[in-house]
Amino acid sequence: MIARVRAMRPQELAAAAFRLREIGIVLALLVVIVFFGARASNFLSVSNWQDIAQNVSIVVVVAVGETMVVLTRNIDLSVGSIVGLCGYLVAATLAHHPGVPVEVVALIAMAAGLGLGLINGLLVAVARIPAIIATLATLAIYRGIDAEITGGKNITASQLPDRFLSLAASKPLGFPALAWIALGVAVVGAATLRFVPWARDFYAIGSNPDAARFAGIPAGRRIIIAFALSGALAGLGGFLFASRFPTLDSGAANGFELTVITAVVIGGVNVFGGSGTVLGVVLGAVLVATISNGFTLLRLDEFWKIFFNGFAIVAAVTIDSLVTRRLQEALRRRRAELLVPSPARADA
Amino acid sequence: MKSLTLRILLRWETLLVVAIIAVGIWSATLSPFFLNRANLLDLVTPYVFVGLMAFGLTFVVITGEIDISICSTLAASIVSFAQIFAAGVNVWAAALIGLCIAGGLGLVNGLLIGVLNLPSLAVTLGTLAAYSGLAFVVLSGEGVATFPESFTKYGGGYLAGNELPIALLVLVAFALGLGIVLHGTRFGRYLYAIGSNREAARLSGIPVTRVRVTVFVVSGLMAGIAGLVYVGYFGSARADAASTSLLDVVTAVVLGGVGIFGGTGSMPGVLLALILVAEVRSGMQLANLSGQLQNIVIGVLLLAAIVAGNLISAARTGSRPARLHRRRKGVTANARADAQVLVDSNP
Amino acid sequence: MSLLELRGISKSYGGVRAVDDVSFGIEPGTVHALVGENGAGKSTLVKLVTGVIQPDDGDLLIDGEPVWIGDAQTAHRLGIVAMYQEPTVFPDLSVAENVFAGRHPRSRLHTVDWRGMEDEAMRILRELGVDFGPGTPVRGLGVADRQLLEIAKALSTNARLLIMDEPTAALSPNEVDNLFATVRKLRERGVAVVYISHRLEEVAALADTVTVLRDGRHIDTKPAGELSQGEIIRLMVGRSLDALFPKEEAEIGDVVFRADGLTRRGVFADISFELRRGEIVGLAGFVGAGRTEVARSIFGVDPLDGGRIEIEGRPFRPRSPRAALRRGLAYLPEDRLHEGLVQPMSISDNTSMAVLPALTAGGFLRPRLERSLARRFMQQLSIKATSPAQVVRSLSGGNQQKVVLGKWLAAEPRILILDEPTHGVDVGTKADVHRTISHLAAQGLTILLISSELPEILGMSDRVLVMREGRLVTELSRDEATQENVIQAAAGVTEEAA
Repeated sequence: MIARVRAMRPQELAAAAFRLREIGIVLALLVVIVFFGARASNFLSVSNWQDIAQNVSIVVVVAVGETMVVLTRNIDLSVGSIVGLCGYLVAATLAHHPGVPVEVVALIAMAAGLGLGLINGLLVAVARIPAIIATLATLAIYRGIDAEITGGKNITASQLPDRFLSLAASKPLGFPALAWIALGVAVVGAATLRFVPWARDFYAIGSNPDAARFAGIPAGRRIIIAFALSGALAGLGGFLFASRFPTLDSGAANGFELTVITAVVIGGVNVFGGSGTVLGVVLGAVLVATISNGFTLLRLDEFWKIFFNGFAIVAAVTIDSLVTRRLQEALRRRRAELLVPSPARADA
Repeated sequence: MKSLTLRILLRWETLLVVAIIAVGIWSATLSPFFLNRANLLDLVTPYVFVGLMAFGLTFVVITGEIDISICSTLAASIVSFAQIFAAGVNVWAAALIGLCIAGGLGLVNGLLIGVLNLPSLAVTLGTLAAYSGLAFVVLSGEGVATFPESFTKYGGGYLAGNELPIALLVLVAFALGLGIVLHGTRFGRYLYAIGSNREAARLSGIPVTRVRVTVFVVSGLMAGIAGLVYVGYFGSARADAASTSLLDVVTAVVLGGVGIFGGTGSMPGVLLALILVAEVRSGMQLANLSGQLQNIVIGVLLLAAIVAGNLISAARTGSRPARLHRRRKGVTANARADAQVLVDSNP
Repeated sequence: MSLLELRGISKSYGGVRAVDDVSFGIEPGTVHALVGENGAGKSTLVKLVTGVIQPDDGDLLIDGEPVWIGDAQTAHRLGIVAMYQEPTVFPDLSVAENVFAGRHPRSRLHTVDWRGMEDEAMRILRELGVDFGPGTPVRGLGVADRQLLEIAKALSTNARLLIMDEPTAALSPNEVDNLFATVRKLRERGVAVVYISHRLEEVAALADTVTVLRDGRHIDTKPAGELSQGEIIRLMVGRSLDALFPKEEAEIGDVVFRADGLTRRGVFADISFELRRGEIVGLAGFVGAGRTEVARSIFGVDPLDGGRIEIEGRPFRPRSPRAALRRGLAYLPEDRLHEGLVQPMSISDNTSMAVLPALTAGGFLRPRLERSLARRFMQQLSIKATSPAQVVRSLSGGNQQKVVLGKWLAAEPRILILDEPTHGVDVGTKADVHRTISHLAAQGLTILLISSELPEILGMSDRVLVMREGRLVTELSRDEATQENVIQAAAGVTEEAA
């Protein structure tokens, strides 16, 4: 196999490295399933998997949005706060106006999220505030707004209409409703990133910002769109979150951004932008959720999950970096062989 | 050519002093109690640990990196310290071990970022979570609260007839000490050089890798020291300690005039910014604003600080717009096209 | 009517005339070679034509109409595309997407038409005869292929004028042939190709017209057939050497530096030479010959794959710049802005940067010492500034260069490698620098002078080493060396072709 790799042309090597990521996650997933399946009795049960599916769904929806931001070489740390805030908005709306159709409430959540994301986008693209700082600040600001709106109270399931509460429990065609929604978002997200021209620009901007500018791509406008979409999807995530965990206070979805970013990074999206697929992110989210679920079933403390998320991010970034460097070294060595000046050339 | 007075007036630190005075006046209108000497002296005490972390973070940011794992490092080190102490070890020995752990956690960051050249945001985002998780594994639940007064007085004790907080002295001592290191030693000069132009620094014989690893160890150690003060002030060590303080720490650094892309900043600025943050929070407390609402204000303050910085440097250098993107460094060498190979991204 | 005509174009940078009253025309469907030494003005012309900078004087005409090329987008719209040694690509995207970045072909639904994009890219690639497909990830492509990619991009935007700046610097002989075939195809399509190269054999093989520049001035434009390589060289260098430099007599002592078989895979091979105390050894060659690379490897910046170095008789392993400094080596980099200086810092801070361990007491800075050190060099090198506290960014290019020089002199090296020390610097500063170099040698310093300016090399050097294509091709003594034979060696032109 090493010999075959050596014989590969540089182009083929690079292409192979591309596909490696998704295969790697699937392999890791299989290992994890075997591991937990052996240790926890009900790990492989249908109801457990439906549980995992529900959790994954919320992460996937928000992660698709986060992916768009990361592709442009930025980051959105405020998604957790947006999820919490929009989730509360959903619950509050339904508690006070139970007649509003569920679909409309979802749209309200997305609209609110879009607005919050738009603010992020403006801060980064127009006010030129680095994304880490901007979204760190809005993480706090949005969370603060959430706290102000809830006013220390919370909304309980009893205040919400049945139509809404049953959403989380319903399983059209045997598959949880939330998972269908997540699947839809993933498909639309993937299609957008593949076929919509301004979405392709995200990749260009992250891959080489100067070249992108030179090619006439309006980076500022694209970045605003990316953040807006991230916010909108986080808003939808808030809607799903509220349906799954209908008792909401101002601390809802605290720290959720970490889970989302872990899924994104493990899913192969480069932290410097320019590359990444929705498929990878979905697989990454599934892997993270599965491990998290396994930890729960093994009665490990919650905190191991947090530790694992952090460790996974560091591991993924390290491996990615080392692999890229190996690839470049191999290619450089290949080039060097072609280029060694032959004695004949040296004569004057 | 601006006159000397004008240049002093337009310095960032001066603006901070003006802001501190302005906020002071506002707070005084909210409550006459504000101008009481004991109150003024005690203003910063609950935020001394924030300040100590900010000093450590300043070192990192000046070299052009970021470390968002500091609050988790603080938590992990104090719970370790607490457990060791609870197991019967002398409090000072336990504290020393806690500090070593804090430094070790910083070293991990330093090796990943300084030696392996991994991006500091991603790495410290990961260690933020990992260290936090570890903290909870070491000590979940209630926390330890049985520390002797000989120890806690450094965080919560007072001198001079109950008016002068010892923690304030600790803060000033570190500000002075670290300030001297930053502004008066060659190590400090190296930080600015690396932050401004890493390649030129390397070519000048500066031990770039060693320095970059060291700053993260410093950041970790300062988190550890902050943790000890934290325990002294709050009286207990819990795994969720300082979990919401990252905003304040980053704000103190950015508001202190430390350029987020590296190469600029001063310790006095960060100290003044910390005082301002403490003052603003305390004022909001007087105005009966909730903690969450205060966070909104601090968040806005952070944003405003950067925007102000952008505007000032634009005016100074004749509108050179702030960088929109980070430069990709480290994974690829500064390629020279002559017979050399792949260039993946702009140097 | 010419596709592009330059009429009386002039451009100055801070007192230095980079381009002086240049006029010539470029016809469509021709390969027009632009030849000249480093500093002749070629890259300035390219920047003017691509809208990066604007001329102080003169006109640019496209199809006979005067145009003002105010920015890169304008140049693009006029069909002017430039390709540099480092191709600008999106490494994470495919070939097809690189070609069409920002201008994806759309389907009826206004979505990205991948099939159409790849088909169109395929068509262009096939026309160019490349062996990679539109779906190939660019990350896996080598320099040669990336260059072809840039050409494909240019073709797809219907470029009319393609400027290639030293395109074959990183190519193997096979790839060079490939590139030539591509250039000929472009010519058939009516594209005008401006081919900048110092490899005169390539110019002879490929060009229809040759324009020679020297010291910013246009010397001649002639059909390629009418100029032999030797004649081109004479036009490139044909200046009188009156402005000779005040080289002091220096006593040349023992060998202080010996390099034996230095090799860096793919960059340079088998470099062996000696340096003696008090000597100034010039290292000549064109850009891409590997001179800077050798220097960087000696100084420990880049790795060395093979060979031995001895300094003052003892072996030396260049592990890092620090290690090199400790053995008495110093290296003044070619790129003073990005590698030589820390721009936001003061003269004083920059001057002391390499010697801080010596200037500090127990780690503490001693600003007074730093200032006096800076003042000493400000005086010695005649640096014009208000005080040592002045920020380096605000200095002129010449003064900046002096600060860098001062920094390395402060390190009291025994062997000083200077890489293009007077590049982009005014005449007065040049003279100052030369005087200093000469004086240092007289005092026993050893100097390796890398330069592309022939008068400088000839005027200053006791010996001249010439590199070409990563090899050391000849060594000439001070008496032997002339402008012609140095360039001939650098270009690989034999006596017969001259």
